[in-house]
Amino acid sequence: MMLTLVTPQKKMLSEVEIDELIVPADRGELDILPGHAALMTTLRAGILRVRLRGKTDFRSAAISWGYLEVGPASVTVLADTAEWPEEIDKVRAEEQYRLAMTRLQDAGLAPDDHVLMQNKVLKESARLALVR
Amino acid sequence: MPSLRDMRSRIASVKNTQQITRAMKMVSAAKLRRAQEQIINMRPYAQRILQVVTNVALSRLVEHPLLTSPQRTNRVLLIVITSDRGLCGGFNNAICRFTEKFIRDYKNTYEKMDFIFIGRKGSDYFRRRGVTARQAILNLAREISYAMASEMAKTCMAEFISGDYDEVRFIYNEFKSAISQKLVSERILPIDLKKVTAAPGDANAAASPNMIFEPAPKDMIDQLLNQHFSTQVFRCMAESVAAEHAARMTSMENATKNAKEMIGKLTLTYNKLRQASITKELIEICSGAEAVSD
Repeated sequence: MMLTLVTPQKKMLSEVEIDELIVPADRGELDILPGHAALMTTLRAGILRVRLRGKTDFRSAAISWGYLEVGPASVTVLADTAEWPEEIDKVRAEEQYRLAMTRLQDAGLAPDDHVLMQNKVLKESARLALVR
Repeated sequence: MPSLRDMRSRIASVKNTQQITRAMKMVSAAKLRRAQEQIINMRPYAQRILQVVTNVALSRLVEHPLLTSPQRTNRVLLIVITSDRGLCGGFNNAICRFTEKFIRDYKNTYEKMDFIFIGRKGSDYFRRRGVTARQAILNLAREISYAMASEMAKTCMAEFISGDYDEVRFIYNEFKSAISQKLVSERILPIDLKKVTAAPGDANAAASPNMIFEPAPKDMIDQLLNQHFSTQVFRCMAESVAAEHAARMTSMENATKNAKEMIGKLTLTYNKLRQASITKELIEICSGAEAVSD
């Protein structure tokens, strides 16, 4: 099974052989193994884990919102942002998390902004979980 | 015959020009590197998202106005991307001429043609020629942001869906390499499905009618298309910016080279002049001395 993981900013993985992929899908965690049925779904902010061909350990990346497409022999993840743990600045992530939290508790927030902030909190908590 | 002093000041002025063009070349080279990186990083995403959109469309599970080609194209929205500043060779001229030709060729075919100009050069060019733009976006090179592209994409999509336009087309310079740009006229809406499916040897292209959608396709497709279109608009802008820097770099390099040649020529003439005046003085002294000794 070939995995391609791309974001508008960069190409994270391109046509890499994998054995397993776990993603935070629309309705909960989704575990993709070779031979999975064709599927198209949206992804939420969370942690994506991938096991490369022949390996036993997972590599993790924090993603924000995106899409997943599973084809006959390939998997494509289109994420808005994706970062490996070593790319995350822990101090900054904590700061962003606190900021998003305080804004979320603001009563005067417009409904659209509320959703936006909720996503932001999810994203930052995923990033933090990865570096901790 | 120019005096020696005139020559000296001319050489100095050409040298100044050369310094400026060389500096501009360096600046463009640095900016180009950044712009180029951005594009190369973005291309795979843009291609993939188009692929996904196509797969969804081909699975025939959803109907969406953006995916169906209209029977007849009558109203067209042209988005022309040029640069804000000049001194970049034929970059803007090529686009403007192409667009003019496009207008001439299709004036009678289409019922309505509207324009959005991105970049000051194109907007000025067509304003002088009496073509009114619906909107002009300036100051592109300074900051091309995804937010801006997304905003524009949304308006275009809304107008397309409401039936104001049958086609949205971009005219811009595609960045090919540091020395060449390609002028392209690309139809962005409706989404061209044939272009993708024709790509051979891609196992991914095999769209399956049994595809599972989560959430339901009709809930997802709006957002997906929105994302796709924003990405395309952003990509066009980024391509044009990179191409602009590349064009400026090349033309400034040529200018520097020309200035160098010019300096060489002028120095040669200057030296000849200097030599001539020395010879003349010597002859005068010699002939004077001879006259005295006689």
